[in-house]
Amino acid sequence: MRIVNFIIENILTEASITIALIAMLGLILQKKSVGAVISGTFKTLLGFQVLNAGSGIITGSLTYFGDIFTEGFNMQGIVPSIEAINGQAMNDLGLGREIAFTFLAIFVFNILIARFTPWKYIFLTGQAILWMATMTTIFGYFVGLRGIVLILVGGLVGGIFAVAMPAIAQPIIRKVTDSGELALGHFCTIGYIFEAGVAKVFGERGEKKKSIEDINLPSSFEFLQDTYLSVMVVMVPLYVVTAIFAGPDAVDTGAQNYLMFAFLQAIQFVVGIYVLLAGVRLLLGEIVPAFRGIAMKLVPDAVPALDAPVFFPYSPNAVILGFITTTIGTVIAMFILPTFGLAMILPGMLTNFFAGGTAGIFGNAVGGRRGAIIGGIAHGFFITLLPALLVTILTGMGFINATATDVDTIVAALLYAWILSPILKMF
Amino acid sequence: MTKKAEILFVCGAGLGSSFAAQMSAEDVLNKYKVNAKLDHVDISTAASSKADVIITAQNFESQFKKFSIGETTSIIYLKNIVSKAEIEEKLIPVLQEKGFAEK
Repeated sequence: MRIVNFIIENILTEASITIALIAMLGLILQKKSVGAVISGTFKTLLGFQVLNAGSGIITGSLTYFGDIFTEGFNMQGIVPSIEAINGQAMNDLGLGREIAFTFLAIFVFNILIARFTPWKYIFLTGQAILWMATMTTIFGYFVGLRGIVLILVGGLVGGIFAVAMPAIAQPIIRKVTDSGELALGHFCTIGYIFEAGVAKVFGERGEKKKSIEDINLPSSFEFLQDTYLSVMVVMVPLYVVTAIFAGPDAVDTGAQNYLMFAFLQAIQFVVGIYVLLAGVRLLLGEIVPAFRGIAMKLVPDAVPALDAPVFFPYSPNAVILGFITTTIGTVIAMFILPTFGLAMILPGMLTNFFAGGTAGIFGNAVGGRRGAIIGGIAHGFFITLLPALLVTILTGMGFINATATDVDTIVAALLYAWILSPILKMF
Repeated sequence: MTKKAEILFVCGAGLGSSFAAQMSAEDVLNKYKVNAKLDHVDISTAASSKADVIITAQNFESQFKKFSIGETTSIIYLKNIVSKAEIEEKLIPVLQEKGFAEK
C-alpha cells in the first residue's frame, strides 16, 4: 500500500512525469528499441520542464507590462497568452496531470470519431491540442468536474473540435490546395470561417475577383514570416511607449534606466516564447509521430489535419496581407471594446501572425483582394472580441488579467461556462 | 551502409509545418533506406545551421537567399511541404549526389 501511495503522491501528481510515461507507453507500443524508448521518454520530460520555464519567463515579463500599463494609461490592458494561463493552471491550481491526461484523451476521442463517423480527420497539431486540453481542464474544473469525469468530458469536447474544425475548413482548403489530401488542423478555424463569410459579403466576385497573389509585395515585409522577429518588432515599441507614459517611477528598475529596462523586458517576453516553443518542440517530438502511426493504422482512409503554416506556400502574399489587416483590426478593437465596458485586449502578435495569415488565405480565396482586406480587419476585431468576453469569466475564476487567443478554444471554454455549467447546477 | 545525412526542416516557428514535413520525409527516407538524422527548427536558428540539407517552404526562399549558409548545405524549397512525392523528387537526387543514398 505504501508503494502505491508513493506512486500516487509523488509520481502521478507530477505532470511532467505523467506525460513522459504516456510517451514511453507510445514508444513501447511501437516496439521501439530500448535506447529509443529511453531517449524519447527523457526528451519528453525535458520538453515539459523547458515549457514550464518558458511560461515562467513570459509571466514575469507580462506582470511587469501589466504594472506599467495600468500606471501609464489608468486602465487594465491584457496581453492574451494561453501560455501564461497554462503555466498558472499547472503551478497554482495543480492541474498539470489532468491537462496531460486530457491531452491523451483528445487523441483517443479523435481516433474514435474518425473511425466511426464520416469525418476522417486526424488532428496532428500537437500544441493546439495542448492548449485545447488546458482550456477544457480549467473550465471543467471550475464547473465542478473532477478526476476521470473531468478528463473524459474534456477529451470528448476536444475530440469533437479536432474533427469538426478541419471539416468546416475543408471546402476552402480544397480550393486553395487543389486536392483533398490535406486538412487544416488549427484551433482558430471559427475565425477563418468568419473572415471567409465577411469576404463573401463584401469581397470581389466572379470576373472582378483579383487574387492578392498576382501582385509583388515589397520584399521588406518578408521578414515578418520569421515568427520571433515579428513578435519582437511589435512588442518592443509596445513596451517602450507604455514605459514612457508610465514614467520612470512606475516600477522599481534598480540602477537601470527605465526605458532600457522596458526594452529588455520586451525582449524577455520573446525569450519566454522562444523557450516555451522549444519545450513544446521537444515534448511533441515523440508523441505526435506515435499518435500518427497509431491513427493511420486504425483509420485507414484518414486525412491528416496539419498546422496552418503548411498552407502558407500556396498563398504567401495573402499571409502577409492577413497578418497586417488582422493587426489593424485588433488595434481598432483594442480601443473600441473598452467603450462597451469590456476589457482592453492588446494585440497578441503570435495569433495575429498565424491566425491572421491563415485567415488572409481564406479571405483571398473567397473574396479576392477586397475580401481579404475587409475580412482581415473584421477578423482582427472578432479575435479580440472573444478574448474580451472570456476575461470576465476568467477573472471570476481567479485568473487576474489573463485571457486566451485561439478562438476555437475560447468557444469551447464558453460552451462550458454558458451551457455545461447551468446544466450541472440543476442537479 | 552509407554515411549519415543531417537534414533540417524549417518553418517560421519551427513547430508545426516543419515537423509535418519531417514526418513525411521520414517515410520517403525509409523507402530508400537512407541513414539520416532529422530535426526541425525555426528560421532564425536555421541561419546558423551546419546541416547537409535544409528543407523549407517556398515562401521562405527570399529570406534564405539573404542568409550566408555554408557552401556544403543544400537548400530545398517545397511548394507542398508535406507532399511525399515532391520530397522524393527533390530530396533523393540531392542525397544521391552527396553520397548519402544509393543511386
